[in-house]
Amino acid sequence: MSEPTLFLLLLGAPLAAALLAAVGSSASRAVAASTGLLALGALAAALGLAARVVEGGVPTWGPGELFRVDALSAVLAVCVAFVSALAVCLGPASETARHARTFRIFASLFAFTMLVAVTTNNVAVMWVAIEATTITSAVLVPLQVSRASVEASWKYILIGSVGIALAFVGTVLAYFDFVALAGARESALHWTVLMAAAPALHPAAMQLAFVFLLVGYGTKAGLAPMHTWLPDAHAEAPAALSAMMSGVLLAVALYAIVRWKAVVDLAVDGPLPDRLLIGLGLLSLALAALSLLGQRHYKRLLAYSSIEHTGLMCMGLALGPLGVFAAMLHLINHTAAKSMMFLLSGRIRERYGTADIRHVSGLLRTMPITGGLFVAGTLALVGLPPFGLFLSKLTLLRAGFAAGHAWLMAAVLALLAVAFVAFVGHLNRMLYGAPPAGVATGETGRGALVPLAACALVLVWLGLVLPAPLETLLDRIVEITTR
Amino acid sequence: MESLFSQLAMLGSSLALIASFLLLWRRGIPAYIDAFVLQSLALGATTALVGHFTGNPELYLVAGLLTAIKGVGIPLLLRRMARRLGSGRRVPPYVNTATSLLVGGLLVLLAYVVMRPVVQLSQLPTRAGMPLAMGLIFISLFVVVSRRHALTQVIGFLMLENGIALLAVLGTYGIPLIVEIGVFLDVLMGFLVMQIFVYQIHETFQSLDVEQLNRLRR
Repeated sequence: MSEPTLFLLLLGAPLAAALLAAVGSSASRAVAASTGLLALGALAAALGLAARVVEGGVPTWGPGELFRVDALSAVLAVCVAFVSALAVCLGPASETARHARTFRIFASLFAFTMLVAVTTNNVAVMWVAIEATTITSAVLVPLQVSRASVEASWKYILIGSVGIALAFVGTVLAYFDFVALAGARESALHWTVLMAAAPALHPAAMQLAFVFLLVGYGTKAGLAPMHTWLPDAHAEAPAALSAMMSGVLLAVALYAIVRWKAVVDLAVDGPLPDRLLIGLGLLSLALAALSLLGQRHYKRLLAYSSIEHTGLMCMGLALGPLGVFAAMLHLINHTAAKSMMFLLSGRIRERYGTADIRHVSGLLRTMPITGGLFVAGTLALVGLPPFGLFLSKLTLLRAGFAAGHAWLMAAVLALLAVAFVAFVGHLNRMLYGAPPAGVATGETGRGALVPLAACALVLVWLGLVLPAPLETLLDRIVEITTR
Repeated sequence: MESLFSQLAMLGSSLALIASFLLLWRRGIPAYIDAFVLQSLALGATTALVGHFTGNPELYLVAGLLTAIKGVGIPLLLRRMARRLGSGRRVPPYVNTATSLLVGGLLVLLAYVVMRPVVQLSQLPTRAGMPLAMGLIFISLFVVVSRRHALTQVIGFLMLENGIALLAVLGTYGIPLIVEIGVFLDVLMGFLVMQIFVYQIHETFQSLDVEQLNRLRR
């Protein structure tokens, strides 16, 4: 397929799916099947574009090369398309037809906005798309109206919108600096143009811009102390939406930070950007690890674990080329692990009718496969071999020691140990014991388990080897984003 | 000519900033909506002014959109919401009026400090207004975090967006049109979704006091 066709398929398929779901009958099997197929089409297009990038190309498309896929975009596009396909195909568990329709419309739009965000070359269009992700996903949080979901959706849209507005202040300040230097140009907000001009930009303005950008996109990425919306929204949303929000939305926000960090690194010589990233990353890690200890709600447990992992990746970005390599590898692993876990949590909640850990017991007896995968996912998230996250965490720690941050890495290790103990302790309580009365035994909807098991296999695979095309992509990301 | 432009731009930004102080000083949703209308009109006029002095016709379009959406459309919806939901029990803010005004003043000072190195980089006659726009951004943030009424928080968010638009038009003579239109679309869609949520909050909690929203806090 030619490159324009790939772009058209990547961005057009989710839009077409949303349209189809909107006009089609809500109970129709055909509509459900076609939206799923379209999501898979977008995934195929993302893989096609990634293959082009591995071969050394940089596909571009649209007026003024508005869309451009380099290695960084390719990795994110594949992650987004993968999780969206997973979520759209599996859908919200046990919902009415009307809910399923609303979900298909907005989940497809949500996927579309994320795909635009990671494939556009224009940093302001990226902002517009990321802001739109808040709107398209917030609509789905109170899919089942309850006090808790209404509260969570309000916190999410208010904090998310305000946070992302601050990222726009940063974008405007950077554009202001560019205009003061080179005059107004239509293409001035293109990342490639900014990168070329970056060495001449003014450090004072770019530092201020970066603070706003980091706080803004950091809010979306769930970095402490701007994370307060995250546990509520991720816990109250339908499981399939949580998978998209936790698996890839956080990664998309982090992607925006990586893009801007590359520009700011060229303009600013001082240590401020790195220090900010390390500070916020460590704070997120510490807060998440301690919050994991006292959790009673397993979806909140997963949400806090997302904050923990985002904090780790954020730190990695400040630890030199090896750190960036580790952070991006970690991002891919986390996407596979967390989307699987949230989808599994949806199955558990459906069966037990509660998200309270204390009321879930005997999971291995009632749902052996779901329970088994849940164990695998938990062990992967806490960073045990043979899962991919072990490898990426190890690389990240190595990068930290190599960069001379021995004390920092010691603190990170201690916090990871706290998270480990908390997570595994909660898991034990859920797996064993007698199931509560009235909870049926045996798996239902076995078809859904196949893609979820595939996620687990991907995690093991990435833990054993680093596939050559992936290594090429990661190396190229390091090349284009670090000095 | 240059100095007239500069003075008029300063006048527009000052009006926009004063509108945000009205939010700190007065009480009641209708008064807040009036302040927002005043601010949006000041912003629209400033944008048109920059369009006139720089001869950029795109800015007239932006000014027209601004006035139509933020000066007329959104306030209309806000008033309807305020009427339908009733003003209800008065919800006191977390911070009293005197302290709010003091904090507002300090935030404007902070904006001057933060923006000083940035303003020096610019040669534009409109640059003097940039710290005011940043002050407006800070005050809007303060409103969002210090108020308990959901509608007031929405108005704070809308003022934050106004502050950014003001910063962009003063510092760069406007961002590219395609981005501007995307931003408008986002603000409008975001506002409409917030509106749905406000109705949902009212229906579920029988109140718009976000202090009630603490079931999940821990």
